[in-house]
Amino acid sequence: MSQPLDRRRFLGMAGLGAVAVAGGALIAGCGDAKTSSGPGTTNKDQLQLLLPAYVAAATGIKPDIPSVQGTNGFFSDAVFLSYPANPVTTSTGVPGKGGSYTATTPLWGAIPSSSGNAYYDAVNKALGATIKLQPADGSNYDKVLPTLFAGDKLPDWIQIPSWNMGLLGFADAVNKFADLGPYLSGDAVKAYPNLAAVPTAAWQCCIWNGKLYGLPVYYGGATFNGMLMYRKDIFDKEGINADEINTPDALAALGKQLTNAAAGRWAFDDLYGYLNNVFKFPADPNRWIIDSSGKILHRYETPGIVEALTWQQSMAKAGYIHPDALADKSQDAKQRFWSGKVVVTGDGAGAWAGDDAKSGQAANPTYNRQAFKIFAADGKPEVLMNPSAGMYSFLNAKLSADQVKECLAVANYLAAPYGSAEWLTVNYGTAGTDYTIVGGNPVLTERGNKEVATTYQFLITPLTSTTVKAGFTQVTKDYAAWQGEMVKYAVKPAFYGMNITEPAQYAKLTQPVEDAIKDVRYGRKPISAFQDAVKTWQSQGGNALRAFYEDIRQKYGTGQ
Amino acid sequence: MTAIPETTPAVPVAAEHDAARTRRRAERRRRLRRDRALLIMTVPAVLLLVVFNYVPMFGAATAFQNYSIYAGFMHSPWVGLETFRQLFADPLFWGALENTVVLSLVQLVLFFPVPIALAVLLNSIMSGKVRTIVQSVVYLPHFFSWVLAVTIFQEMLGGAGALNTALRQHGLATWNIMTDPGTFKYLITSQVVWKEAGWGIIVFLAALAAIDQNLYEAAAADGAGRWRRMWHITLPGIRGVVVLMLVLRLGNVLTVGFEQMLIQRGAVGRDAAEVLDTYAYYYGVVNANFSLGAAASLFKGVFSLIVILAANKIAHLAGEDGLYRR
Repeated sequence: MSQPLDRRRFLGMAGLGAVAVAGGALIAGCGDAKTSSGPGTTNKDQLQLLLPAYVAAATGIKPDIPSVQGTNGFFSDAVFLSYPANPVTTSTGVPGKGGSYTATTPLWGAIPSSSGNAYYDAVNKALGATIKLQPADGSNYDKVLPTLFAGDKLPDWIQIPSWNMGLLGFADAVNKFADLGPYLSGDAVKAYPNLAAVPTAAWQCCIWNGKLYGLPVYYGGATFNGMLMYRKDIFDKEGINADEINTPDALAALGKQLTNAAAGRWAFDDLYGYLNNVFKFPADPNRWIIDSSGKILHRYETPGIVEALTWQQSMAKAGYIHPDALADKSQDAKQRFWSGKVVVTGDGAGAWAGDDAKSGQAANPTYNRQAFKIFAADGKPEVLMNPSAGMYSFLNAKLSADQVKECLAVANYLAAPYGSAEWLTVNYGTAGTDYTIVGGNPVLTERGNKEVATTYQFLITPLTSTTVKAGFTQVTKDYAAWQGEMVKYAVKPAFYGMNITEPAQYAKLTQPVEDAIKDVRYGRKPISAFQDAVKTWQSQGGNALRAFYEDIRQKYGTGQ
Repeated sequence: MTAIPETTPAVPVAAEHDAARTRRRAERRRRLRRDRALLIMTVPAVLLLVVFNYVPMFGAATAFQNYSIYAGFMHSPWVGLETFRQLFADPLFWGALENTVVLSLVQLVLFFPVPIALAVLLNSIMSGKVRTIVQSVVYLPHFFSWVLAVTIFQEMLGGAGALNTALRQHGLATWNIMTDPGTFKYLITSQVVWKEAGWGIIVFLAALAAIDQNLYEAAAADGAGRWRRMWHITLPGIRGVVVLMLVLRLGNVLTVGFEQMLIQRGAVGRDAAEVLDTYAYYYGVVNANFSLGAAASLFKGVFSLIVILAANKIAHLAGEDGLYRR
């Protein structure tokens, strides 16, 4: 990966949601060469048997701005400007039967104390089962996981982000989890109405080795890596109209206009990670495209990546990119944007939200983040989509059938849609103790800030909606409008939604190429360094990997 | 004529050996009883060493296996020297090794004398108060993490940092030090000097304190000036400690830091910043290829052992005790 997919990028990818009926995509989870459990194949007919049926939620909850249908089955988030005044209860009775389960989830932030936690008590009481949450540090989650697997100390319920799966040789790891097919496939899911309301696209990426293992977390209707954004307040001051920036040259011209190094302002941050849609090459986790002649190309081999690197390098050499960005200090990128040290940046969709506006306005009251409209170098805008969910939770294979059913009933409660009474309990705890309603939206109290963190939500969530952070309604409206436009360009990249585990021996080939990409995009080496690295990549395994994917295309198609 | 009396042994030879052995055993037991308290005090440290240093050494076995976390030590297949063959065939490994050795030598020349010089300077300050203040300030950076240290350097010397902003505002050319691969080794060394030199003076200050003050007075009485006193008394006085620290430093020739390189690898590029530890990290740990990481680390350990033994031997030849003497 060019950057580790940390919390910021993930939250950028999360968001947006609604229903998409996947059109006959084929799934394959292939075993990796070293520990081979054999390729798990699913053809079109078997897929239809595996996928849970979709039954739209009949809760009567109406969003303020409904989701917009885009192309290829993608759609934007439903938008709620305030929480419904009288939230309905979507599930009947208490889902649990008094069982007790251990659950491990990642957490990026302070881990709340589990004793005397009114929020945990309230949710466990509502669930009728005790979920013993054991949140682990999200940034080091990849170090926790192998030890859990190797020592066979898996909890009853565990969540695993997709970016940690490569490390685990997932085709084998997944055998430690319960096959949820018998409980959820086809019409069986109707026993759990909130799970039946999960879009089929989200279920599709929960299938490995021809079986349904995962529960999707933070899935949306149009998940993608991120977009180019700018400071509208600075643009207004400089008299720039963002709608006119619709070619890479127009964007480059901004470099000269906006950079004033002596005053401490540079035009651009490190944009490479978000140039993929401008220059037409896939970003992580999509790696392959099929070009017009039908050849399978890795993103390293596309002409687009060379154009993007050349573009960025000329910007770096001209001095239009902030020096800290060129020193690879990506963790401070948001601060540079908030303080106006850079004017144009790239970030995930999750960055365009009320929390960001709050931080930005603390630095500058006129702060206004907006995103450029999607544009492409060849004049035909396209946005390559990511799999619907970025994280999945799994039940331990050692659980009995009754225990699995109890956990699924709990999941049904946790997946109650935005606008329901259950959602408030799961996400905010008890009214008065942990949260209050301010301006129509729930806000955590001081106690709530200590007790409530993203815990139950990492087990399963309802379809993501766009919501308002108190005081920043305009941000939500702007984002919703932009997203409605964006989904009109959504396309599925090659091998979309297919949980393919590549053979492990090719994993280390990407590091030298990623290093070369950094050298080129920061202006240290010429573009030929990248091209040489790609040639080495091809001879050391890239071509063999292409043959592997060619095989998959023959057998299972391309998921598009 | 006097007859030479034939002396027959008082007891047979075997019995004499038994007696000697019993005497030695009694002697040993007596010593144990006498040193009992001291030995018990070492037990926690020995336990720590055993648990965290010796027991994990068995993990070196993964370097000879095709290690999988699911198969574990017991069931991972053995591949002998295959992983090492892969390691030595990788040009990136040799690049990392070269960087490591070069960085180590630069630090040896430019960093190693600094704590010694600082200690000698500090020792010559008369005012106790000034000494304490200077000492405290100078070893404070040791407690910072490398993330903080590199951030400070970036804020001060980076392209948008204090120095370059001032240069720009006066119309002068900016100085690119933080992202220049050519001068990276000097940047790293200066960071290490800033951070660790103060801490390093502690050992040398202790050695300086052990020098007999009468020697200085006698030399001064004989007319030796400041520099002659330093050359003939101070430096020879700490020679033993200097040689010891040098042997230790040489033993660690392949350890030039991990965090410091990791943080700055993106800023200067892999060619300048890759060292053995980051190589083992990126090609071993990150890709769950634990066998390769173990092989690189084992190589490092064996190499360091050979170097430290050789350095110690050379120290003996120079007449010093070195790290240990049998």
